[in-house]
This record gives sequence, structure tokens and C-alpha cells, in this order.
Amino acid sequence: MQAFSFSNAPLEPERYRDALADAAAGGYSSFEGWVRDHNEGKHVRHLEYEAFESLAIKEGARIVQEAIERFGVTRAACVHRVGDLAIGELAVWVGASSAHRAEAFAACRYIIDEVKHRVPIWKKEHYVDGDSGWVNCERCAVPGHDHAVQHGDRAHYVHEAAAAPAFAHDYSRQTALPEVGAAGQAKIRGASVLVIGAGGLGVPALQYLAAAGIGRLGIVDGDAVEASNLHRQPLFGIADLGQPKASVAAARLAGINRDVRFDVHATRASAENIDALLEDYDLVVECSDNFRTKFLVNDAVVRAGKPAVFASVYQYEGQLQTYLPRDDWPCLRCLWPEAPRDGLVGNCAEAGVLGPVPAALGALQAMEALKRVLGLDANARPAVHVFDLLHLQWRTLRSQRRAECDHSPPGDRAQNAAMNVDESELELEFPDLAAAQASGLTLVDIREAWERDCDAPDRRIEMHLPLSLLLDGRAPPPPQGVRYLIVCAHGVRSLGLTEHLRSLGYRGVYSLRGGLAALSV
Amino acid sequence: MLVRIQYFAVLREQAGVAEERVETGAATPADLYEEVRQARGFTLPRSSLRVAINDEFCEWSQRLQPGDRVVFLPPVAGG
Repeated sequence: MQAFSFSNAPLEPERYRDALADAAAGGYSSFEGWVRDHNEGKHVRHLEYEAFESLAIKEGARIVQEAIERFGVTRAACVHRVGDLAIGELAVWVGASSAHRAEAFAACRYIIDEVKHRVPIWKKEHYVDGDSGWVNCERCAVPGHDHAVQHGDRAHYVHEAAAAPAFAHDYSRQTALPEVGAAGQAKIRGASVLVIGAGGLGVPALQYLAAAGIGRLGIVDGDAVEASNLHRQPLFGIADLGQPKASVAAARLAGINRDVRFDVHATRASAENIDALLEDYDLVVECSDNFRTKFLVNDAVVRAGKPAVFASVYQYEGQLQTYLPRDDWPCLRCLWPEAPRDGLVGNCAEAGVLGPVPAALGALQAMEALKRVLGLDANARPAVHVFDLLHLQWRTLRSQRRAECDHSPPGDRAQNAAMNVDESELELEFPDLAAAQASGLTLVDIREAWERDCDAPDRRIEMHLPLSLLLDGRAPPPPQGVRYLIVCAHGVRSLGLTEHLRSLGYRGVYSLRGGLAALSV
Repeated sequence: MLVRIQYFAVLREQAGVAEERVETGAATPADLYEEVRQARGFTLPRSSLRVAINDEFCEWSQRLQPGDRVVFLPPVAGG
């Protein structure tokens, strides 16, 4: 049987017991958790278990393996119920067989204690009085906590401190600061922050904000954890590969601070959802890796009149900028009247980055956010802070509100909406270049000459137009009236150029999503 | 006149230096960028950049003064 599993159907301890039988085992011990009819003075009618299954199964299996190694038992397993359970039903079963009884008892005890503490399972109790509530998050194993979870795009991991928690967070090292104190901690507790992007910048920003005790933290990220993330996003581990970043981050951060309510928004910030995403938060920390999102967030915080902390990195450098909703304060568009196009100046995928660079900038974003929450930014002046971590230099470039900037995207909303419709067709996906060519597209490779030298030439690529030559005017843009598929290494530069050509009036120009790296060659 | 130029991001990468002192006849940062763009082979057009003189963002038409510290700053998006 599997070391750890979930079951929607009633548990069958007899069957599990048989699966642990072994000629070398001199005994077997088991533990059963049952649904009882009361909790903390309330009468319970029935209850529901819900689990973050993909994560839970891995963590549960790890616990069982630890028990086998630690106590030297022959076999061990654990099965947990999910779904609706009646009073008296079996909620969890743990079993271990071993040569001697002591090890079997110890292994059972270890597994149930660790499962209750480490595996993300939530329990919703339905009371006799008709009320209900998500209680006793087993992940925390702390009696007297209230917890709620909803799944989907807007999952909530609610951790509200109750009367007498068994573990009280100790903020003494920050409340010792005269500028913080108990009053400052209350401000932090009362604050809500939305972090957009759980990547190189977002991970440290989230870790420090969660650890500081920000009352409510929203995490927006539509991506899954990839192997290439781990070198600079150490909140994630090997076991998380392929899992949604926002959910994994929330689960990990919940282990750092139980006082924080985490909202999981496992989606990409878009023109359609950005205003709704911002609604519940006082402050935004913008940690995305693309201009499109940065300007989307800029426009939304300007509309909503909320402060935001922006940061970006390039190789060994970073830029940090805070927006405050004040009449004299510049927005991102005051600084960059022509919103830059993604891919034209490089991102982490193509330019490369060392982990500590976004880590430093993300930590600075958390610092800026805490300053704002604590009211320590009274003397702030608008500026872009430019950090060169290779030479350890920091320049503060003073900026001003641009008189002609009305703090809104160029064109009216309807026009932008039309652009967004168009955006949905900017990228196309193909299994290989042959399929792309078969759909009547002319393939244009915009990688630099040195990049192409690494590959065997592909006869399906009909045009080589290095992006640097195009931008520079040293190569003419491709003739109009032809349907193009623009390709580069990872699909970032090609998307930028596609947007650029569309803005020049080209029609039928597309970017190969994910670039050549995404093809199944 | 002698001015000090600092390069960031892709400009630093393409110039191969983070900083240089330049003897120039350029009257404005716009002229100065055109000079170094040709000398250094920068691919970014001026319209993609911002310029700061002596730690203040300024217009491309501002008059350069001897000893000015000029920063050419491209936008960056990595995260």
C-alpha cells in the first residue's frame, strides 16, 4: 500500500493491517482518529476534511519514511479521510509493524503527531446549532485557532489568533525599536499587503512581510514552480516542482507565521482582474518580471489611490521605486512615458541573474512596505534608487511628477480594452517548427547571430533578423502583408517585437509562445 | 568639456564599463547619447532611456555643464 494516502470512502483498517503483515514482524500497532461530537464546548454534528492533496501526499509519505528510518520498523502507513464524515467515523488511520512492540508504538505516535503538524489538512465542523466553521487546522496543531480555506483562484488560509494560543509569536526584536513598539506592531497586524509575483523579488518580500506579522498577505502568481526558479527562490524546493507557486508559497509561509491570513490568487494579474485583486489591500508590492504587469499595476494603484513599491532587476543591478498616492508624486508613466515593451531590454530568462540580486531588492521592497505601514516614510521624496551590486554602488535619482502625464495609460479605456482583446492572439503555440510552417506562417528568427551559432540550422526558418539590428535601424523591418511567426529563445523578445510590430500597424504577426526552448524537438 | 557618464543594465553590458569620463563637445545629454551610442554601439534608441544629471532626472534638452555626472538609465523588468 502507499505510505500515505487519502480516501473519500470509509477507511478499512482490516485491509490496511493485512498490508503491513510481514514474516519478520513480531507485532503490529495502530492508531485511529475518530470524529467526536464536541469541540471546545460546541456540539458537533458532522464534519468535513479538505486537503491540499498534491502537497499533502508528498509530505505525508516523507513522514512515514522518516518513521521507518528513525524507529527501524518493518512497515508503516497512514490513510486520512477527506470529505463529509459523521460522528464516530474513522478520520485517520496509522499503522506500523515491527520486530518489537516499542518501535511500532513509537512509529505510530510519531506519524500521527507529525501528520497533524505538517500535512495541510483542514477540518470544517458543523455544529448542532446550525453554525459551522473551519477549525483546528491540523497543520498548526494549535487548539483554539480559527481557520478557513476555500479553494480555486481565491483560496484563503485564514489564521486568526484566538484567546489562548499555544504558540505566541515573539516580535520583541522588532518591537524593541522605539519607532515600532506595541503600537507599531498593531499597525503591522492591521495591514494588508498584496504581493504580485512570487519569484526572485516576491519570495523575500513575502518572507519578511509574513515574518513581521502583516495581518493579511495576498499572493498573486499564475505560474508553477520550475527547476530554474530554485537558485533564486529558496522558499520553494525540489518537491514543489510543477505545483502552483502561490499555493506553495502560502503553505510555506503559514509555517513561518500563524498570525497572518494568506490569500492565494493563483492567477496572472490582467486588465480584467487587477482592480478586483487590489480591492482588499492597503498596499501593493510589485514583484513581477515584465513591463506589461508593472504598468498594469501602476495604472491600477493610481486609479485606486493606493501606494505601491516597485522593483526590477537586470543581471547585477536593481531599480527600486515607491509610488505614493499624492498629487506631487510621479507614477511609473511619469518616468517612462513610452511604456517599454517586454523583451527589448532583457529579463532574467535571457539576461541571467544571480539569486542575491533579486533577494536584496525584494528585501528592500519589504522594508519600504513596512516603512509605509509604520508611518516611517514621512520624509520620503520621489526617486528611483539604482543599485549596482557588482560594484556595490547605489544611486538615488530624484524624479518629479511630469506635468503632461495624467497618470493613466495612453488612449481611452475602450481602446485599451480593444488592445487586450488583440493580446489574446499575440502568441501561438506549436509542437514544432514544421507545424508552424504548415499553418502558413513565415518563420522569423530574431535571435542574435551568436545564439544561432549554437544550434544546427533549421531550413524552416526563412528569415534571420537579429533583434539588435532591428532596434538599431541597421536592418529594415520585415515587409508588411505577410503572416509572420516571430521566434526567439524563450518567447520574451519575440513577444516584445510582436507587440511593437502590431503597434506599427502589422497584422497577422505572432510570437512563438515559450520560444524555441518550448518546442518538442 | 569633461563629463562623467554612468551606464546601467544593457548599456553597461554593451559598453563593457559601468562608468567613464568623456571629453565632449555635446551641448545636451541628447547629443552626448548620440556620441556614445555610435562609439559604443548601443542598440537602445534614446526614446527607450531616461537621463539624469547630477542625480536628478532631466530633459534631454538640458544644457550640459563641465563636470556633470550623467546617468543613462534603461528600464529593467527582471524579477
